[in-house]
Amino acid sequence: MVDLFIGAGLFLAGGVAAIFVNERLKAPVFFLFAAAAQFFVLTVVVATLTGGGQLVLPVYFSEPIGAAFFRLDPLAALFALVTSIGVLLTSIYSIGYMKMYSGEHAELSSYYFFLGLMAGSMLLLVTAQNAIVFMVLWEIMSISSFFLVAFENGKEEVRKASLYYFIAMQVGAAFLIAAFSWCSAVSGSLDFDSFAPVLGNYGSVSILLFVLFFIGFGTKAGFVPMHTWLPRAHPAAPTGVSALMSGVMIKTGIYGILRILLLVKIPDYRLAYGILLISLITGIYGVMNAIGQHDMKRLLAYHSIENIGIIGMGIGVGMLGLVYNNPLIAMLGFLGGLLHVVNHFTFKSVLFYGSGVVYSQTHTRSIDRLGGLGKYLPLTSVMFLIASLAITGLPLFNGFVSEFAIYLGLVRSLSSNSLSVVVAALVGFSGLAFIGAMALLCFTKVYGICFLGLPRTEYRSEPNEKESTLLVPMGILTFFMMAIGLLPWLAVLLLKNVVMQFLPTGSSDIFQAILPTFRTISIALSGFAAVFLFFFGLRALLLRKRKVEAFKTWDCGYQVGSSRLQYTGSSFAQPFLQLVSELVPQRIHVEKDPVLFPRDASLESHTQDLSERFIFRPAIRLLNRFLDAFSWIQSGRMQQYILYGLIFLVFLLIWVFGVR
Amino acid sequence: MALLIVEAVIVVSPLFFMGLINKVKALWAGRKGAPLLQPYYDFIKLLGKGEVVSRTTSFVFKLAPSLNIAAALFALTIVPLPILGSAVHFEGDFVLFAYILSLAKFITVLAALDTGSSFEGMGASREVTYSTIVETAFFIVIGSVALLTHRDSFDTIFAVVNVASGYTPLVKILLVASLFIMLLAEGSRVPVDDPTTHLELTMIHEVMILDYSGPDLAYIQYGAALKMTIISILIADLLVPAYLVLLPALGLFALINILVFISVGAVESLIARSRISHIPQFLFLMTTLSLTAFAILAFFLFGGVR
Repeated sequence: MVDLFIGAGLFLAGGVAAIFVNERLKAPVFFLFAAAAQFFVLTVVVATLTGGGQLVLPVYFSEPIGAAFFRLDPLAALFALVTSIGVLLTSIYSIGYMKMYSGEHAELSSYYFFLGLMAGSMLLLVTAQNAIVFMVLWEIMSISSFFLVAFENGKEEVRKASLYYFIAMQVGAAFLIAAFSWCSAVSGSLDFDSFAPVLGNYGSVSILLFVLFFIGFGTKAGFVPMHTWLPRAHPAAPTGVSALMSGVMIKTGIYGILRILLLVKIPDYRLAYGILLISLITGIYGVMNAIGQHDMKRLLAYHSIENIGIIGMGIGVGMLGLVYNNPLIAMLGFLGGLLHVVNHFTFKSVLFYGSGVVYSQTHTRSIDRLGGLGKYLPLTSVMFLIASLAITGLPLFNGFVSEFAIYLGLVRSLSSNSLSVVVAALVGFSGLAFIGAMALLCFTKVYGICFLGLPRTEYRSEPNEKESTLLVPMGILTFFMMAIGLLPWLAVLLLKNVVMQFLPTGSSDIFQAILPTFRTISIALSGFAAVFLFFFGLRALLLRKRKVEAFKTWDCGYQVGSSRLQYTGSSFAQPFLQLVSELVPQRIHVEKDPVLFPRDASLESHTQDLSERFIFRPAIRLLNRFLDAFSWIQSGRMQQYILYGLIFLVFLLIWVFGVR
Repeated sequence: MALLIVEAVIVVSPLFFMGLINKVKALWAGRKGAPLLQPYYDFIKLLGKGEVVSRTTSFVFKLAPSLNIAAALFALTIVPLPILGSAVHFEGDFVLFAYILSLAKFITVLAALDTGSSFEGMGASREVTYSTIVETAFFIVIGSVALLTHRDSFDTIFAVVNVASGYTPLVKILLVASLFIMLLAEGSRVPVDDPTTHLELTMIHEVMILDYSGPDLAYIQYGAALKMTIISILIADLLVPAYLVLLPALGLFALINILVFISVGAVESLIARSRISHIPQFLFLMTTLSLTAFAILAFFLFGGVR
């Protein structure tokens, strides 16, 4: 357990050390510290994951915190594993990527400092068992990530996005503080274990508390409708940080929900249905909006929302299994959800890293300006393709395995003898297929438009991938994507002990129900690969001695084609967006000269986020009107503010001494 | 062994079914039409030719045809045959079945975008748009039969789906109709798409493969035909009664498949291709039919009438 603290300390030390070295050494120094941290973290984390059991370390603080426990159980270990590896990969990636910002010495110092702070706080967060310690770490994580998002604070849009992020995080934290204080007021302790009776008593209070926790943690995770910060913050942050936030940090929200669920033990049935429904909506809404985006990173941010939805569906199925006392369904749901946490970390990080390579070479994130990058960036292109296939949930790669487990849980639920379960299962089953089909649309768009075809605009300089530090993290993750995809039973070994925590005791042989299926899939997929190779080989053999002519693309006889005639991402998505125009409203501005033969014309299209329009804007307007009533307090005179502070202190003194 | 033989017969039959459709259309129009085996002649001829490949394309373009054919063959091993069952079966195998076909679709769409042709981009865009509707409805169909049979693999579902009880004929009619729409959509036939009109802006699948030639084109056409055949097999699976012994069951199975393709030809002769903007409505019919089937099932299974 102490190893974990050393690891967190090393991350932080790396950040501090990076301040004091010269600019070129900052990234390597941070990387060295991050790599050293792995030796401490990975040993203890992997041992806990594979061996089960838990490590506890009590730390004594002064009042009001008192004794605080740090505990590493398999659930915490899983998230610590993802965190630790995620930080290491981002530190490698930053070596190459942050060269873009050379010359901004102070900014780079703050980048590594807050990266280290965020890494350390995330690592310890998952072990904290004391509400105050947890909240302190939670806030350190939020605030340090805020500074990372605000890295390019010279740009107005970045300032706006980071403030939006900051406020969203504080609103979420407010819900958490409310929920935690309620729990500790009832239980009389700040220790998580003491909350169990409060949360698990099936009264309306326990449901309300769960909802508060869900809103608080769900804001971090990005459940709809609390998701609006993601599509702002992710594009604004430097790419390594976007990958870390999307791949790792938003999962702390999932971690929080799971931690509370462990305390609840058997949830109320309404909560199970509620989580399943919200997650399904999150998944569908996320990918639907993603399809309409033009900015690559914004699109990926919406996909994070979709994947949080899929993770949530797994958790929802698991909860249903617990409610209806069916350990098998519960196992499949939690296995699918937790595996998707890991999987999403792998492919989303690669996608963000890939978009960073594209951005660093072309200086644009706009999909419609790109094209033909596969020829310039072959390795990035292949890894981006594999990640796209994996995030779509297609077989051979890891996304399929986690979605398959969730599907299986839903199919099992179809045999239930309760109508509500059957209906929920069918809705989830077809809903997940809908999400998958939309993801297919979205990633054929991203990959097809950006990497295939011809460049739509001329690149300022020829894009290249000479910077190998950008590719190494992607390569490592691509390896994991393929390993889990082809050998799904590996995932069971990794997650067995975590899933067991959620199941009733004594069901350890339940994994025997899924392992043979995974082995069959593994064999069947290798068969598929063999058949494919056979036909690919046959094709090569047939063409060996024949004429294979290179010619231009068949353009139906039109002779003056140019690369600008290619289909764009916007036009590719248009038929679908028209179908769902009620859910993803599009605003289109057309400008052209009102003459007979207009020379210059422009067209712009934006999608609008409904939850922003119908939930947040009205809510903020209402809040503003209410707060306006207090505007007289803010006079702008410093003396008056000091007076306020003084009055407050006097009251505090009276309260402290008066009560005694 | 019997399974192996029947699957081998199925592997060679898809092009015959394509010939059958064309023959039906020809006869309907009062022409003599091309020979039934014409698609085989085309196939062999294409395999013997060289290729013209666009300079714009990359490795994706070369992968797509082989991946298509492999995916369709893989799907065939999962799909069950009456009495005989399937070669590969496990819990939830239909998910892999649907997803491996999606994998082929993903790569085919990318191959279309790989050429940089705006025509092919257009077809690709339509293909993925419509597949969001079809895919969802297909999972409702699977969910309905899984609910009906309380089984969780293709093999076992179709082993018991035809043990008749009072309300199942109605459900089956709805599901068959739903699968037939899927056949038309995935096979890019009228009214969703018209495979005979090359170079039209209105096309979907055929326009995506404009740049293919030689063995690659042969692969793609065979793969598409096999995919149609597989959906037709699913339809037949729903209809062949479980009490038959092997040979009559297989006879009936073959007959139903032939009838399905004759109906495809008949549909093509009777109605015109829909306007692009009307196609989603037609595809939503598949969703409606399958949802209705599910609702009827839920109603009967969970005691609307006690």
